[in-house]
Amino acid sequence: MTGRLGFLGVVLALVMASVGAHAQVSQQALTAAEVGQIISRSVQEAQARNVAATISVVDRVGNVLAVFQMTGATGKLRVTSGKGIVRTNGLEEVQDTFTNLGANGSPTTRLGAIAKAITGAYLSSSGNAFTTRTASQIIQEHFNPGESFSPSGPLFGVQFSQLPCSDLSVRQATNGVPTGLVDPTAGPKRSPLGLSADPGGLPLYKAGVVVGGVGIEINGVYTIDPTVADQDSSVEEIVALAGQFGFQPPDDIRANRIFVEGKSLRYIDQDVNVLASSPASAPAFVNGTGGNLVAVNGYYAGGGPLAGTAYGNPESGFATDPNGDYSGVGGVVFVLFNGANPPVARFRPRDSINPTVAGGGLTTAEVRQIIRSALTVAFASRAQIRRPLSSQVQVTVSVVDGVGNILGMARTFDGPLFGTDVSLQKARTATLFSNTNAGTYLGTFSSTVGGTPAAQNANGVTIADYVTAVRRVLGSNALQDGVAFADRSGGNLSRPYLPDGIIGAGNGPFSYPIATWSPFNTGLQLDVVLDNIAAHVLFADVGGANNDTGANCTGFTATAGTLISRISNGFQIFPGSVPIYRNGVVIGGIGVSGDGIDQDDMVSFLGLHNAGLVLGTGLGNAPPARRADQLSAPGGFLRYVNCPFKPFLGSRQNNVCHGK
Amino acid sequence: MANRLRLAIASTAAAVLLAAVAPAQAGKERLRTVTAGEKPILVQDSVRRIPQRRQGAIAPIPPADLSRIGPPQPNLPSEFIPIPDRWRLVDSLGVKVNFWDPYNQNTLKADRPLPGTQDFFFNLAVISDTVIEPRRLPTPISPNSTQKPGSNDTFGEGEQLFYLQNLVVSLSFLQGDTAYRPPDIEFRFTPVFNFSRAEVEELAVLRRNPAEGTVRNDVHVGIQEAFFDYHLRNVSSRFDFDSFRIGIQPFSTDFRGFLFQDNQLGFRLFGNRDNNLFQYNIGYFRRLEKDTNSGLNDFGEEIRKDEFFIANLYLQDLPRLGFVSQFTILHNRNDEDSEFFFNKNGFIERPASFGDERLHKYNVTYLGYNGDGRVGRAQLTTSFYYAIGEDNHSQLNGNLIDDNADIRAYFFAAEPSFDFDWIRVRGSFLLASGDSDPFDNRQEGFSALFENPQFAGGDTSFWIRQGIPLIGGGGVQLTQRNGVLAELRSSKEHGQSNFNNPGIVLVGLGTDFDVTPELRISTNFNNLRFEDTSNLQVLRNQGEIAEEIGWDISAAVIWRPLFIQNIVMRLSGAALVPGPGFKDLFATSQDGDDEILYSILANGTLTF
Repeated sequence: MTGRLGFLGVVLALVMASVGAHAQVSQQALTAAEVGQIISRSVQEAQARNVAATISVVDRVGNVLAVFQMTGATGKLRVTSGKGIVRTNGLEEVQDTFTNLGANGSPTTRLGAIAKAITGAYLSSSGNAFTTRTASQIIQEHFNPGESFSPSGPLFGVQFSQLPCSDLSVRQATNGVPTGLVDPTAGPKRSPLGLSADPGGLPLYKAGVVVGGVGIEINGVYTIDPTVADQDSSVEEIVALAGQFGFQPPDDIRANRIFVEGKSLRYIDQDVNVLASSPASAPAFVNGTGGNLVAVNGYYAGGGPLAGTAYGNPESGFATDPNGDYSGVGGVVFVLFNGANPPVARFRPRDSINPTVAGGGLTTAEVRQIIRSALTVAFASRAQIRRPLSSQVQVTVSVVDGVGNILGMARTFDGPLFGTDVSLQKARTATLFSNTNAGTYLGTFSSTVGGTPAAQNANGVTIADYVTAVRRVLGSNALQDGVAFADRSGGNLSRPYLPDGIIGAGNGPFSYPIATWSPFNTGLQLDVVLDNIAAHVLFADVGGANNDTGANCTGFTATAGTLISRISNGFQIFPGSVPIYRNGVVIGGIGVSGDGIDQDDMVSFLGLHNAGLVLGTGLGNAPPARRADQLSAPGGFLRYVNCPFKPFLGSRQNNVCHGK
Repeated sequence: MANRLRLAIASTAAAVLLAAVAPAQAGKERLRTVTAGEKPILVQDSVRRIPQRRQGAIAPIPPADLSRIGPPQPNLPSEFIPIPDRWRLVDSLGVKVNFWDPYNQNTLKADRPLPGTQDFFFNLAVISDTVIEPRRLPTPISPNSTQKPGSNDTFGEGEQLFYLQNLVVSLSFLQGDTAYRPPDIEFRFTPVFNFSRAEVEELAVLRRNPAEGTVRNDVHVGIQEAFFDYHLRNVSSRFDFDSFRIGIQPFSTDFRGFLFQDNQLGFRLFGNRDNNLFQYNIGYFRRLEKDTNSGLNDFGEEIRKDEFFIANLYLQDLPRLGFVSQFTILHNRNDEDSEFFFNKNGFIERPASFGDERLHKYNVTYLGYNGDGRVGRAQLTTSFYYAIGEDNHSQLNGNLIDDNADIRAYFFAAEPSFDFDWIRVRGSFLLASGDSDPFDNRQEGFSALFENPQFAGGDTSFWIRQGIPLIGGGGVQLTQRNGVLAELRSSKEHGQSNFNNPGIVLVGLGTDFDVTPELRISTNFNNLRFEDTSNLQVLRNQGEIAEEIGWDISAAVIWRPLFIQNIVMRLSGAALVPGPGFKDLFATSQDGDDEILYSILANGTLTF
């Protein structure tokens, strides 16, 4: 049965290959003049509304092309979910913490504007145009927010991706701290505060292709939209609309035409008809008029607007696979590049470091096959968050070894950018939680902020307490018994309600009770990177003696032979990854991100399964008896994966992951 | 005539019960109220069809009645209502009064006035209705936890068992000369005591919280009738009259329950003219909230902000002798745009978890024509509605600048039937328009207020009987329990009408075999299609959804062991043979194999 399905998948992929081969994104980029235009239009609208904005424009891969602060703009950013949660709970009211540290003024609205612009660019593609408002809708404790009892948003936790400490992300500039790759044009670039859910961040398009994003911060409150039942009138969003004018996405791919669980996603709450100015007649951009371009450490040097890099050009850090590793998988495959001249592809398949190949680790050929099989499934599958209907799934696939070293990474040509970092987060998270020393490892946390007690982060949270909490729920052997945790399983434990969404239920052990939980206080996920974010904010806003955080998230012990932790771009807690097993032992993980979470699940799970069949080397998914869905938790068994309805294009097959 | 009254009462109660059939699909079991209108019609039908139908039998002239509705569907048990012949019996024949005997002279059955009075009567009807209903439906695996390990996909195990027990107690007090003219005053009170139990194989199906497991027991007491009926005047020597009725009362907008058939709170003025050639209803109804699992009225909740005005006129012998035409206009105003409403099981109902899930309200006017009667040798029932109105916010179009939508939808149904000695052959055709563009400012899918269709096999049919959740497409039902439309609403009981839907086309052939006076066998073959799948495609982000739903094949056996309506047993079975459209939407088993979706209904009613 399984062989038949696998074969069918291959056939489907071949069928779809003809479609995919023709559908490639043209290379588009913003010019410096266009960036100026976007600023000028935003400024004009803000002036018409008697507000002063901080404006950021980025390109698709996250290069900051401009940060402009209008005269009189609010400089300091207050971080709050609006739930009344006080300081020392994650990032809630974190500005007060900075004040206590003598950095009154941090975080700045500049960082907020950058995070918003990056969110608009990173969540979008030629098949879907999402905004920070969309992000707000899909990261809360219920989906939709306000629909009591419904499970959490599908991208619950995505706000803590693209972190400034990510080892994957490329740096624009550095102040000498070990930072991984530094390059002026290659992405994916990091975001100072992760992704933003505060309305006012929109994608920018040229000819139907994402060329970047614009982010507007005005009121100095970095927040979320707690309900989608109403129709907001956000000045930040309206000003962003003016800035976006001329670079709008096609109507047909906007979030409001994309449905998840029968619910349409939010694009914006006000349309261009409410603009108080005429963007088309905005004056030419002149720095110094109405405000100034401002430098931001690590992101933008000021001086003038920059031109964007065209996604697809190796200089952007993403382009067609030059090595033929992924030919014949059903569509055009992009890989990452380092931006050097000439650019060199990053993350070609390689042997596992830990465990070693001799010790049962993945070989180069195995890594390649796993990614190939996953991409094959993706190209054969029905996208959930793309239009037109019957589009192929577009995702990034990452494979790591047993301690989180990147063994390979590739993506379908138009996957949303955020999935690059997220797929890696997912792969590492599943791998770590499935390891027999997961509990021990989580206990190795040590703050990177001076003066903080050992094993605690700067907010005073003892990370090892999460292990205790998990064992209280799952039993004393949890996190050391080698049970396989897909990211969906770990995600079950990372929600403020367990079972997910059920008001009145207790919190998942990796999360906080709903009274103190918020998208700015997610639990373990944030607590282990909080210190990194704080250090980075001080670097970006204040600089000087404040060193940037390194390219290594979390305060966990670095793995032997590397300088990074096993979770060196942060945990991810929404579905889309499974651990890789051989002979009953976890040897790595595969993470997938970019389409619907059920699609992400299927591409990782079925991709790994199919690769196992092709390779015949004993690797594959965890044995069913070892999976986390054998674990009983409040409300029933944990979930492992949830493969989507009507998964494949051109086929009526369903439940394709059953029995595997 | 006394018996006619009594009958009307008993039959109403019976219908309440009968209807009370089982539960709904996942998460929503509910009582079906077949309580349509007044029942004298049922009497007429009973006379016609029981005992055994004979070719050439002469139908008696219909009794004069106000809110007359047409003959019930041939295979509904509700037609087996006691024949009102007790009135022929008189004391002089030596009949002894026995309070336990509903079939002879009985003061509890309004055969005699209350002691010490001349014209005050009391009528008691007690009905027990029992339903056992095994079925297999497409069932989702809970997103947040599972019933068993190894659940890796979206579709889970679909075996379900539903059990329902209703006890209907109808108490009626009336004054008047019950023998020769309608009574002057009637008070009626009908509580229904309900117990239901549902068993499924997946979590979060019956209740939102998966921790509550796969079994749900529930009890509810609903008030299905509580009205005062006053005979205003007679307008002719033949007792043409005007009356009004206020309170919770049964009402049906048409012969087959296509648009509205329920027991709701309202005021209704009705009467007839010209020796009953014309009958009219003018009514105003404000809908009560329903109990989620029984479908009975729920007084624990605020009354809904949903009301309708109705005016209709029945014309006998139009266009020809033996055929009744009815013209109707109904205006439904829904103002439920101010707060979220969750049902008793924790699922959101208003607004539906659908599209942008924003609160909205709508006004819609239905213009209808309904016909029922004989055309030569054939029986014909037909229904046509045109819905015109406005939705203040389209949940699908996503247009922020102009989110209003015009409602323009239509519905047509016809069922001709022919009798061949003891066999009746029925043809069924039904078309409900579907919406062709979810993103425009027109909503073209036909949606009813509260359908309870007795058509094409009624609740014997799988599609009509079972509610099927639109898995992956929102918190809405593809089709409602006891409904034929593919309305995509959260539920019939709590949800708003929804004109963004794929519509439906039904073509069917059925037969009724009166094997013996106490045994009838019915069969139904229905082919079902969506009228337009554009909305479904968008809701699931799935380009490939074919129109054909499949074949719905069913059979029913109805047995009245004592030749009377007081004991009626029914056993029916239905299977859906999925067509391409259904297969595009659902898996019928967890392991991916094709399983037959079925609906079995074992139903017993005992009536006093």
